[in-house]
Amino acid sequence: MNNKTKKILHSSEFYVGVIIVLFCLLIQMRSGQFFTGNNLVDIIRSFTIPVMFCVGELMVLISGGVDCSFPAIASLSMFVVCKYMENVTTNPLPFFIVAALIGLVFGILNGVIIGKYRFPALIVTLGTSSICWGVMQGVFQSREYPLCPTLLAVGKAKLLTATNAETGLSSDLPMITVFMILLLLLGWFILNKTMLGRGIYAIGGDIIAAKRAGFNVFGTTVFIYAFSGMMAGIIGVFRACMLQAVHPNNLEGLEMTAIAACVLGGVSITGGKGTVLQACLGMLLLTIVSNSLILLGISTHWQNVVTGLIIIAGTAATAIQNQRNAKKLAVKLTES
Amino acid sequence: MKRKVISMLLCATMAVSMVGCGGGSNDAPASTPAESDAPASDGAEAPADGGAASGGGALEAFTPADGSPVAVNSIYKPAADPSDWTIAVVVKDSSNGWFVRMEEGVKQFASDYGINAYQKGPVATDAAQQVEVIENQINQDIDAICVVPVDPATCDTVLQDAKDKGIKVICHEGSSANCDIDLEAFSNAGYGAYIMDNLAEAMGEEGTYVTMVAHLTNASQNEWADGAVARAEEAYPNLVNLEASPRVESENNSERAYEVAKEVLKTYPEVKGFVGTSSMDTPGIARAIDELGLNGKVFVCGTGMPNECRELIKSGSIHSAQLWDPAEAGYAMCVMATMMLDGQTIGAGTDLGLASYSDMIVNADNSNVVEGAGWISLKADNVDNYNF
Repeated sequence: MNNKTKKILHSSEFYVGVIIVLFCLLIQMRSGQFFTGNNLVDIIRSFTIPVMFCVGELMVLISGGVDCSFPAIASLSMFVVCKYMENVTTNPLPFFIVAALIGLVFGILNGVIIGKYRFPALIVTLGTSSICWGVMQGVFQSREYPLCPTLLAVGKAKLLTATNAETGLSSDLPMITVFMILLLLLGWFILNKTMLGRGIYAIGGDIIAAKRAGFNVFGTTVFIYAFSGMMAGIIGVFRACMLQAVHPNNLEGLEMTAIAACVLGGVSITGGKGTVLQACLGMLLLTIVSNSLILLGISTHWQNVVTGLIIIAGTAATAIQNQRNAKKLAVKLTES
Repeated sequence: MKRKVISMLLCATMAVSMVGCGGGSNDAPASTPAESDAPASDGAEAPADGGAASGGGALEAFTPADGSPVAVNSIYKPAADPSDWTIAVVVKDSSNGWFVRMEEGVKQFASDYGINAYQKGPVATDAAQQVEVIENQINQDIDAICVVPVDPATCDTVLQDAKDKGIKVICHEGSSANCDIDLEAFSNAGYGAYIMDNLAEAMGEEGTYVTMVAHLTNASQNEWADGAVARAEEAYPNLVNLEASPRVESENNSERAYEVAKEVLKTYPEVKGFVGTSSMDTPGIARAIDELGLNGKVFVCGTGMPNECRELIKSGSIHSAQLWDPAEAGYAMCVMATMMLDGQTIGAGTDLGLASYSDMIVNADNSNVVEGAGWISLKADNVDNYNF
């Protein structure tokens, strides 16, 4: 076996990938509909918004923190721009810029508190989250709100329509998917090709070592949370576009999904390890599960049980592989 | 205060057994504690039992189901001049479109009946702020208060204060343990049946349908869905609830409703209709139907808000959206308040002067709750009458 295959076989991504493929084949066998154009488009569509949140969450997790505030930041930004800018302009771009700025403010707030005072990220982001929900409900009187035509057009813009020749059902792939791919590439680029990205891994590995190695720990921490917050703002508006309505509480609870997806894919919850691919695979598995249980013919009563079992199986695969890798590392160290 | 004294004197001159006013002993002896859908108020407190009845001079015992309908036009006896009555309606949030619509009903009542009735509410949906608003109102010499509680349990104390002052207390959309009576727009089963009637009309009374709820554990939505299924079984023999997956969950998320509806339609092509119960379900299912190119072949009926469903109704993706009209509810609450001030019994068959509230029924589980038939259906031709 050459080195490359060995590396693949030893990666946790490989095992999550295997589980995904097996699960897809099972759905295909039972329903005969998994590998149809319209079903695959449905899955990508459903995958789009959550996986975008995973990019920010991934960076935070790698740095050894956790971000629970992005659904609240996204919802607040979404609601504010959708409600107050609908008569200001007919160009969608300013909506996204303002939403990004609102998200940026809260992200920087998170980053500065966590970076400067080294408070636990979980508590700080829970606090920010609470503030955002509160501001949205109290100051901005959040409620369901119709989406303005400008953003409606963004939501309805589609890349392609996949039609199932047999059933005649069709599905649209939203244009927003392009932004998702760009964001995933950006995340990959920052983490793998820049010194900033190396710094994120270094902080997550050992913060003191990172400092001694000359990384700007404070600056990097602020960047991570600011990036997460800013992206949350933009993604929030995208969510409204796809929903074709403004639902202020639609994103509530998505922080757990994003964290679960990252960890499921093999990202270390204690920091220092993780890749964009892992986060994507984790989210892909969760998305396929939640969109295929009816296709599998599982009754509503049992769906949560099955979801839980698949999550545990997926986590077990990555956990066992990580343990194996750790053991090997230990052996090598004693040998040398 | 002056007005009250005058009305009391009037009462006295009518010489019905007056037992004296001031001290706040005025409650229904036999009412059970309120128990609402809201888990917050479990109604553990014993009802305030005032003993001797006073106030308007008539005994008002909320013994339900006496079956005799009361004619509205008979209620204004010269005993207390109704034009001296003041009725305050306190809603969850004064700026919310739902309650702006409710205020239209309250104003309509005031002009129809010539009684001073008005609506107030906190600037934001906030339980504590609402209590403040209620406190302000009961200190202003009102005769009845109608409350749409943000959190029924939070209102318990302040509503007891109101009752101690001899003010009639009516709740709506959730009842406090201390309200005299809770007026609900409809019974859960009745509303479900109404949704099914609309869906049956859309589907031509035949085909397979699926019901959707936010969660299988949600009490009222599942009762609506049960009501819809029961109605189909009873009245539409050719409507079949999909056996493999009769009820699906939307997690109260419109995107989830969309995804689930798509999956159902992919898996079970025989499905021709959906019952949506959460207001998130109906637009979500409609988007799925629209995108799959199934407009006119698959139908959805269910709870929906006018602003959210307007375009989908007009484009034909939603056959019709059901809900209750807050204006009617506001109107009916005020009518009920006047009847109570007049000392009439509210119970089965009570007529509140509106077609949809003309034959009230008493909730089987809680005799303190009366229900109307206040549902409406939004279609392309009437959805523009509503803005919330």
